[in-house]
Amino acid sequence: MKFDKRLFVPILAIMAIFAVCLVFFFIFSAPYGDGLEKTMETAGVEEGEPVFEAPLSYGEDYPTAFAMGLIGFLAVFGLVLLLGRILGRKDETHND
Amino acid sequence: MHVPDGLMHPLISLVGWIIAIVVIALSVHFLNKKLPYRTLPLMAVIGGGIFVAQMLNFPIGGGTTGHLVGATLAAILLGPLAGMVIIVTILIIQALLFGDGGVTALGLNVLNMAIIGCFLGWAVYRAVPGKYQKFGILLASWLAVFIGSLACAAELAGSFVMSGGAYGITGLVAFPSMLIYHSLIGIGEAVITFGVVSYISKVSPDLIHTPAVGLWTRRKVVLE
Repeated sequence: MKFDKRLFVPILAIMAIFAVCLVFFFIFSAPYGDGLEKTMETAGVEEGEPVFEAPLSYGEDYPTAFAMGLIGFLAVFGLVLLLGRILGRKDETHND
Repeated sequence: MHVPDGLMHPLISLVGWIIAIVVIALSVHFLNKKLPYRTLPLMAVIGGGIFVAQMLNFPIGGGTTGHLVGATLAAILLGPLAGMVIIVTILIIQALLFGDGGVTALGLNVLNMAIIGCFLGWAVYRAVPGKYQKFGILLASWLAVFIGSLACAAELAGSFVMSGGAYGITGLVAFPSMLIYHSLIGIGEAVITFGVVSYISKVSPDLIHTPAVGLWTRRKVVLE
């Protein structure tokens, strides 16, 4: 499996767009919950204790959130590649 | 729309796990040894991109926000089976690494976002005639979020009834609240999905015109 070097451009573009949009996230969205959280709030339901304590969180400030985004990107990137290697097939053996 | 631990009745969570395991197993079965290696880097980039996009909640008014799910986006670009691999991977990373979505509720989150988003979104997209492809992308991505929220509302209401109020949320609140919020969040999902698909099909059409995977084919995305 060869890594297409052209993909570096979209990777950098994705992280650049993320870096910019994260500013707007902290200005406009950070204090507010999503649709499910708002529904829970309306119904007076509190979020329960998690059964598993995750090692990381998305962070409360810009630098932490950006770092977590980068870590998450790399984690998903790596795991998808790994799963794809298991599920995939070598290019030269297929007939599309 | 990530369901946390302790919100749903354990039996509802168990049903979610069973459905998720069956669908993931079938996806792996149909995808196994059919995914060309050269598609993998693109899958990985799309997965990473959807992960960071999910962190970026956008306001929908009234002090409420929503975020991209990205399952229909992944399914349109890579097919529903490859989309399932991507979205399930994201949900696992979110739950285990960042505590976003409960571990016990992971099956329900897979159902509400990955399965409905990938398969329903893909089916709607494919059902719309090719000449209305733009409308198909918008409708499929909006509907995937809306039906996903309907499923979540049903799980909340079912949990409430089964537990006598110890779990879940009464349907009188869950259905209108979830559906109203997600009908608006779905608009954001549709706009982002359409924008990304349009952009990729214009700047790097060869990147997404990769071979289809078995029966669960993608359709060539060509937006004029």
